[in-house]
Amino acid sequence: MDDIDAMFSNLLGEMDLLTQSLGVETLPPESSSSTSKEVNFTMGFADMNVESLNELEENDFDALMADLMADLSATENKLVAELEEQKDAKVANPDLPAPPRELSSYVVPSLSTTTSPDTGLNTTYTPLADSHIPSFSPPQPPQHEKPSMEDVEAQIKSDKIKLALEKLKEAKVKKLVVKVVMNDGSSKTLMVDERQTVRDVLDNLFEKTHCDCNVDWSLSETNPELQLERGFEDHENLVDPLSAWTRDSENKVLFQERTEKYEVFKNPQNFYLWKKDKKTLKDMKDRDKELLVEENFCGPSIIVPDLEGVLYLREDNKKSWKPRLFLLRASGIYYVPKGKSKTRDLVCFVQFDNVNVYYGKEYKNKYKAPTDFCFVLKHPQIQKESQYIKYLCCDDSWMMTLWVTGIRIAKYGKSLYENYKTSMAKAQLTSAWNNRSTTTTSTPSTSSTITNAKASGKANGYAPQPPEEPVANIGIEPPPPPPLPPAQILPPHPTVKRSPSPNATTKKLPSLPTKYPPSQATIFNLPAPPLSQDDSSESPPDFLPPPPPLPDPGFLSLPPPVSFLPPPPDSDFPLPPPPPDPAFCPVTNRVPKPAPPPRQLYMGADVPAPPPPPPPSFTPTSSVIKTAPLPPKRTTPMQAAPPGGGDFMSELARAMAKKRANQ
Amino acid sequence: MAVWDLSVTLEDLGAEAPPITVSVTSDLHIGGVILKLVEKSQVRRDWSDHALWWEQKQQWLLRPSWTLEKCGIHADARLIFMPQHKALKLGLPNGLTIRVRACFSGSVFRTVLGICKMLNIRRPEELSLLRPVEEKKKKKDKDLSEEVYDLTDVPLTSVSRPCLYNGMPAHFADSPKTEKVYKMLSVPQPAPAPEAIAKLYRPASIVDKAHIHSRCTHTHTHTHTISTFTSLCSCLLSFLLTHITLATPLRWLDSSRSLMQQGVQENDRLWLRFKYYCFHDMEPKYDAVRLTQLYEQARWAILLEDIDCTEEEMMLFGGLQYHINKLSLSEPQAMTSTPAMDDLDSALQCLEVKLDVGGSSPQDLLDNLTAPELNDYLKIFRPKRLTLKGYKQYWFKFKDDSISYYKSKEESLGEPIQQINLKGCEVAPDVNVAGQKFCIRLLIPAPEGMNEVYLRCENEEQYSRWMAACRLASKGKSLADTSFQSEIQSIRSFLAMQQTNPSTNSSQTDDNINTHSLVSPRYSKKYKTKQLAPKILDAYQNVAQLSLTDALLRFLQIWQALPDFGLSFVVVRFKGSRKDEVLGIAPNRLIRIDLGVGDVVKTWRYNNMRQWNVNWDIRQVAIEFDGNVNIAFCCVTADCKIVHEFIGGYIFMSTRSREQSDTLNEELFHKLTGGHEAL
Repeated sequence: MDDIDAMFSNLLGEMDLLTQSLGVETLPPESSSSTSKEVNFTMGFADMNVESLNELEENDFDALMADLMADLSATENKLVAELEEQKDAKVANPDLPAPPRELSSYVVPSLSTTTSPDTGLNTTYTPLADSHIPSFSPPQPPQHEKPSMEDVEAQIKSDKIKLALEKLKEAKVKKLVVKVVMNDGSSKTLMVDERQTVRDVLDNLFEKTHCDCNVDWSLSETNPELQLERGFEDHENLVDPLSAWTRDSENKVLFQERTEKYEVFKNPQNFYLWKKDKKTLKDMKDRDKELLVEENFCGPSIIVPDLEGVLYLREDNKKSWKPRLFLLRASGIYYVPKGKSKTRDLVCFVQFDNVNVYYGKEYKNKYKAPTDFCFVLKHPQIQKESQYIKYLCCDDSWMMTLWVTGIRIAKYGKSLYENYKTSMAKAQLTSAWNNRSTTTTSTPSTSSTITNAKASGKANGYAPQPPEEPVANIGIEPPPPPPLPPAQILPPHPTVKRSPSPNATTKKLPSLPTKYPPSQATIFNLPAPPLSQDDSSESPPDFLPPPPPLPDPGFLSLPPPVSFLPPPPDSDFPLPPPPPDPAFCPVTNRVPKPAPPPRQLYMGADVPAPPPPPPPSFTPTSSVIKTAPLPPKRTTPMQAAPPGGGDFMSELARAMAKKRANQ
Repeated sequence: MAVWDLSVTLEDLGAEAPPITVSVTSDLHIGGVILKLVEKSQVRRDWSDHALWWEQKQQWLLRPSWTLEKCGIHADARLIFMPQHKALKLGLPNGLTIRVRACFSGSVFRTVLGICKMLNIRRPEELSLLRPVEEKKKKKDKDLSEEVYDLTDVPLTSVSRPCLYNGMPAHFADSPKTEKVYKMLSVPQPAPAPEAIAKLYRPASIVDKAHIHSRCTHTHTHTHTISTFTSLCSCLLSFLLTHITLATPLRWLDSSRSLMQQGVQENDRLWLRFKYYCFHDMEPKYDAVRLTQLYEQARWAILLEDIDCTEEEMMLFGGLQYHINKLSLSEPQAMTSTPAMDDLDSALQCLEVKLDVGGSSPQDLLDNLTAPELNDYLKIFRPKRLTLKGYKQYWFKFKDDSISYYKSKEESLGEPIQQINLKGCEVAPDVNVAGQKFCIRLLIPAPEGMNEVYLRCENEEQYSRWMAACRLASKGKSLADTSFQSEIQSIRSFLAMQQTNPSTNSSQTDDNINTHSLVSPRYSKKYKTKQLAPKILDAYQNVAQLSLTDALLRFLQIWQALPDFGLSFVVVRFKGSRKDEVLGIAPNRLIRIDLGVGDVVKTWRYNNMRQWNVNWDIRQVAIEFDGNVNIAFCCVTADCKIVHEFIGGYIFMSTRSREQSDTLNEELFHKLTGGHEAL
């Protein structure tokens, strides 16, 4: 026991050191370009400097901060809660490490490594540590009364260790701040951690942009130097390919609709029966299309379209392009050597394990290609001109699409189809949701929400989060590219500015669960962060919080519980956190911990329903925490009960209420 | 009514025994005839399995209530009274032969059902029986010595799915002998000696080659079909066609008629093979035998070049075979012991225990956080630099997924001269065992392209460790990965393979499998052992972590992804065409292949098919597709019943996925495949 104890404290000490040092050397993203369109973040080992921060687009900054907060709070809260429990004074130390970040600095243009928000944090943090210790007991069952103290102690110790390990793990998670260029040329900045898939990031972007979420939306990377473009596959991790970018790279990440992304599932005949005449293909019945997909993607092995044809291959280091008969097989691309038979003497041109397929842009000019319909196979790490890049040129754009899609099928196999199904589900739910939400207008009372939350046992599973945006915004703003007023702080909430008016709030409220039986739709969309206390912290939905919200309805799609407010940016800014919804706290939903009663209490006592929401949303937190039944003790990231957050929140809420009153 | 004499031969009395004559009237029913016969024979035994066979008409008299008149039997009829179930020598896909008691009176479809039930193969409709190719004289002697596993005593169970006992169907668990047979059925066979494969394939002339190909069609096509068609040049093919038409009888048996009706005698040899290439609902848990036999059939198809694959694919198949061989030799229990784990509860418990262990010892977790390293003096060479410096020695450290090197061991605490991250890199061996050259060639991706680096190790031991580490790191795994040790092991065994002289290699040991037995003769000839081994090892690395079942499934997956998978070929002449062409029949489509070029000219899919008709008189198959597309063809070499059965069979197979029930719709099968003879 003792040695474990010792070990643990050593560990903690080390971690503290570690994080402190990180805190010092972490750098804020500095904007390197003057144009607001393309801000490339670079990272230098400079101190945090206000000017450079100011240069950032506000939403960038905002996103960044909010994400950091989300991050921090996610990991730290539970940590603190846990440790507070043990009355471990050491941990209460505000210096608590800013968790997630790789130790090595990672720089990518238009990306920057996460910076530690220690400065902002510490302030927010302190309140956590104080006074409320008893109130945090939630995470831990009242073990003090429990008979076997030894057991409990042992338990505590091992929990501590687990916690520490977890934290260590967390600290290793690499994160990037990514600037995504939108269709309209604007850009959004988000933080992506290495566990997030492209799908997660897309979902996140859907929330931010209110686009129609159709299956064609994709993230892609461009490489201007090689004039390449590639759509990421939904199951890929985003951080990996981005990590391959060089320091001075001008590569970009684009968020755009790419019809060829899932074309093979919409019109499989064009790929699998490509030899047939155009008319037959066009007249293909839906049933036959389904059959084709089923045949080729649902069997024990994925069938690759039997492509063969003459492609032009760029000779190594020469300017000539030579025609060759190429064949696609599941195992790779082959060509037929001159004068050899097609079946027996195939020579392997490339296998797909180590290469990705890219579209080449305007190669007629760049490389004197026969046509502009070129595709390229290269190792993802290669970023510059090299003999290891293979360039192929097709006769027309259709052949190019055929080949690129065929290669993707061969390379990714079943995942491609899984991705498509996920995207479809998402798209359908979104459209269903949008249809529904536009029709709803009434304002459910808060209390009704509460009962709902309480009553529906499902509350745990899918927090019926109030997806305010679709409702409030759809009427007002055009959905897809969110026209972000530059001054806005919280990009995800285009309505934020309006929020002070009670009307706005009521508008948002309709989406409360009462209206919608906690159906999947509700969950999915959760376009905007929930507004209650907890959300306020995670409200900056700018980035996906670590556990990515899965589109699966049954899944706990909630971002990690967070208890802090994002550091209030500046007094110049309007209301910092948007969250005027007293209704729901997604976090509470996670753990069977009925938050409602306290809330009700509060509501009754303090605030009449109609008044501007912000205050209620905060104050309740504290009360929630105090009275909440103890959730099962856990060390997992699921951990709910934001330990100290409530207190701080309530203070803030009070302040805001005051402010409002003054107005 | 007039009484007349009917003479019946009793098979059990022996061929020479005179027929027994019974007095009958025309309105006596068959059951009555049998009763009289048995009484008169004075033999006391169980006659329940016996029935009357009408020799002239080649038909069974199976309805006891029909009268002689109704059956059309007169005094001149020669009837034989014999058992319906007789012994049959059955060649299995894995090349072994078993003796089973099979039904000679029901349709072949029924017979296969019975055999599969006994062998515990689900989905028997996918299999059928075919005649083996004529054995050459020189092979006869070998055949005589061949071991035949006798299963005739094993009772055919009436239970629909035999209950498992000790991981095998109860009827196999009776005696150690049958248990052994079950192992043989459910565990892949060791690799054949390369000589054995080569013996099947040493075509001296083009004629030989054609002949061999017709022989080799055995695996799953009848003689009138030509597998590996596309691999033959047209002159071979034409030879093949004449050869086939002249010489051989039908290979696939007609599934709507009985064995007796097709001239199969007791103790004849038949092959049991998968005929329809859609393997529905493969569930390793229940399908040990089915999966193994299917793997064997696929493996032989590939080894005998029945289906074409590229070199890269062949090496992967080789790697998988190597892995499967190794696993099935080392743990023959693997397949049969799994049922113990079938129970979900026990599986969960097992998981829980694991979790508990993991959770309760944070110490272990901590240990895992400190990664193991490799440290050694190695030599490095970078060919990219134009100077011909050659190999230079440094102190190397391998940690996580990167290599760092230092001037010397003493300086290893400082900054390395260089650190190379191996994630995503290509690793290739550059080894000459005889020349004691153990190099690792690394292609390391960088933004500017790939950097080529050679690492030279001193000896096998060092090489195995560093090579294993490089391979793991290239896949993003660290040395802490559990597969590290097994990786080292397999590299060692492949090195050993390259050491041995091919001539001494024919006697295989357990862990030394001749790589030449893993690839088809084409590649055996192309490469020497020391060239082949690294290629197979390379492919093997990617599959080395698979369990036996997963490896079998992977093998089948790759097989099924081959472009020519599932095609059975028939030579036909299309209506209005003057030349012979080849019709390929696949699970989902028909293809028309031009004989001259070998190209696919046309594809028709079954789901566009409206109807198909067979004109039995002129042996013509006519098919109508959506959009008024009509085709008609005569089968040049095959009986059109074969084509009819294939098409109907595939359509039947496609109905299975829609039907939720597990029961086999036999009636529908016969309706789709039977033709007028069945009615």
